[in-house]
Amino acid sequence: MKRRDFFKTTLAASTALSIAPMLRGNTPAPAPAAVIGGGNDPHAVTLAVIAAMGGMKKFVSKGDVVMLKPNIGWNRRVEQAACTNPEVLRALAESALNAGAKKVIVMDRPCHKPEDTYLRSGIGPMARELGLELRHTDDNRLVLHDFKGKYLEKWPVYRDFLEVDKFINVPILKHHGSAELTIAMKNLYGILGGRRGKLHRNMGGNIADLANGFTSHLVVVDAWRILLRNGPVGGRLSDVAVKKTVIASTNILEADVLAADLFGRVPAEIPFISAGKELGMGRIDPAAIPVKRLTA
Amino acid sequence: MTRANARVLRFCRVVSQILFLALFIILLVSASRMFFYFDPLLGLLNFLATGEVMTLFLLSLIPLGLTLVFGRFFCGWVCPLGTLHQFFTWLGIRGKKKKIEPVPRKALRVKYVVLIVLVVMTLMGTHLGGWLDPLSLLTRSTAVSLAPAGNHGLNQALKAGAEDEGVAAKVVKPAYNLARRHIMTAEQRGFAQSVMVGLILILILGLNLWRRRFYCNTICPLGALYGLVARFSFMRLKTREGCKACNLCASHCTYAGGPFDDYRKADCLVCFNCAVDCPHDSVALDFTPPFSTAKRTPLDLGRRRVLGGVAAGLLAGALPAVGPRARQKTHGFIRPPGAVKEKDFLEKCVRCGQCMQVCPTNVIQPAALETGIDGLWTPVMRPDLGYCEYECNRCTLACPTLALEPLEMDEKKEFKIGTAVIDRNRCYTYADGYNCAVCEEHCPVPDKAIRFREVELWNFEGRLVKVKQIYVVPDLCVGCGICQNVCPRSDAPAILVTAEEEQREFSYY
Repeated sequence: MKRRDFFKTTLAASTALSIAPMLRGNTPAPAPAAVIGGGNDPHAVTLAVIAAMGGMKKFVSKGDVVMLKPNIGWNRRVEQAACTNPEVLRALAESALNAGAKKVIVMDRPCHKPEDTYLRSGIGPMARELGLELRHTDDNRLVLHDFKGKYLEKWPVYRDFLEVDKFINVPILKHHGSAELTIAMKNLYGILGGRRGKLHRNMGGNIADLANGFTSHLVVVDAWRILLRNGPVGGRLSDVAVKKTVIASTNILEADVLAADLFGRVPAEIPFISAGKELGMGRIDPAAIPVKRLTA
Repeated sequence: MTRANARVLRFCRVVSQILFLALFIILLVSASRMFFYFDPLLGLLNFLATGEVMTLFLLSLIPLGLTLVFGRFFCGWVCPLGTLHQFFTWLGIRGKKKKIEPVPRKALRVKYVVLIVLVVMTLMGTHLGGWLDPLSLLTRSTAVSLAPAGNHGLNQALKAGAEDEGVAAKVVKPAYNLARRHIMTAEQRGFAQSVMVGLILILILGLNLWRRRFYCNTICPLGALYGLVARFSFMRLKTREGCKACNLCASHCTYAGGPFDDYRKADCLVCFNCAVDCPHDSVALDFTPPFSTAKRTPLDLGRRRVLGGVAAGLLAGALPAVGPRARQKTHGFIRPPGAVKEKDFLEKCVRCGQCMQVCPTNVIQPAALETGIDGLWTPVMRPDLGYCEYECNRCTLACPTLALEPLEMDEKKEFKIGTAVIDRNRCYTYADGYNCAVCEEHCPVPDKAIRFREVELWNFEGRLVKVKQIYVVPDLCVGCGICQNVCPRSDAPAILVTAEEEQREFSYY
């Protein structure tokens, strides 16, 4: 979709939505742009959040091949809050399968040794338990993808991420030295091959281009445990805060805005978020995003 | 014995060889050090080098004691490298009229000279037994060359299965996915000495097609050690009544002695090929009390060769110590975590490559000449090729001779193998004036040994800009090298781990 088209569609849609209730006289509950759920069990909260988003059937059709893209970047335990919580992923995999998904693939390109990170994060054992397809990235399967961005143009991407029917982006909310935060947009570094370190120059612009040039059909942010300092790798438990929160949105920028707000940062001050706004990817004032809050 | 009985014995021997080769591979894959402790050569040299008996090496007295009974059964029935040699010799002999020749008689004694040189060199402080010891040699070759080459070969053979379209892709895909999931490593491993180590293995295995079990008969110092003991062994083979002196017993013999003519206990690998070949059922086992001088075969070595070996060993063993290291005050390499003082390290390490085998990230690499010519194939850390995983202590638990001392995970995390140093002429945050911080992001130390601070500097466009500039906190840095490994510069990393402030004592004395 071109930017111009996007604006046109957005304008048309919002006009239609604002006029429609006036015509009909009574107001139906609008589907929330985002849901923020809290509770005591990450699995239950995730299920509740998905239900509030309209149910997984809204996102996954029968026979779909679904990719769950967690952050499995580091050889760290779940308590250290460097990788996505496996229980959040478990809930998403179960609901995708229940919605009729043909196959659920779990995959990331970690920074540490893949075999180690898959195991220690607990994501590998969870995936094997549920019979999900756990894949390692395979350099035989790299293709050049055009992100058509200002900073990020063509870059090698693992074909697995491009071929699936539905891509569910499941990051963990963390501090990050150079990007300031890492959430869903930054999580897409994991689909890239090549020397990703090169993208640290103009990082905000690169992250925004990356997220703008690749579709995440659903974004579910694991903010159960968040890493407050010394991210993205962390390691010290005193740097971890337990927030017991899961955020979902179909808009990747707005998911990151809400997560940054939860982290205690002003979203507009995060370079990749302001770069995303410039690309017209969504609203960056958390108060302007209609959010449904729930407790499960 | 009858040929039928001989066939049974030979069958048992082949089964034993296959089983021990399988056991060797299993122990290698599971990072166990146990096979090494049954190697009396390594045990002896370790004792001579360190002056201490490592208790586990006492296990090697078991095969040594059994050799006193059965002769060189280890070489014929157990040694995994011997099994490969036997296999290649067999390949060359099988079904061919023109048999592979045995090594010349006089070559059989070379291995004793090799052993003498190694022993004397070790006494002079240069322990190179691992270069030639069959277990070290095979472990190293497997870790550094065979296993990565196998992975690459599978990838080359099956990578059509990585495609999604086309007939080839459809046919190969299941095999490819199976191999990717269960056999191949997620990333291709690579080693600095893969070609050299691999070619040496190809060479010594190939020599079997020229002369039967060439390595075992002429070079192997472990074979020599067993040979010295086997001379005194209880059991021997002989011919008995009915022998027609046809000498067919020598036709598949590993050294072509055969029990009829020129039988040598020190070279007989008790493989029982002779008994199978004898058309007259005339090969028999003979038992004489150990140490009886009556039937002992001559060693055929001679005083001059012994003295020559000693002299060569004395000189060769002293040479590394009088190289540059006698004067040099700095060193440009780092060793894996748990490494002991450099002098002790060189004397303990048997260059087996087990640490390289277990290292998940490939950072442990066999040295070429950077640690001295006698340091060839000792493990060094190469952060340009891998990084030391913070949550890992596998290498420290895999070293058979404790050249890397075992470290608990918490000890390992704090074990300082070196310090990161920034090359300010290359680092983007100094030289070019823009943000990068990939090293800072990857630094695994909880407090971050690599940090950044905001500074103003003139950038590559001549503008005064604010940059998040990297700096290292040397006291926190453990030298894992992930910073160097991920530095995005293409020419050479702008942050390097050097031996500065390494925790172990570095001394050649």
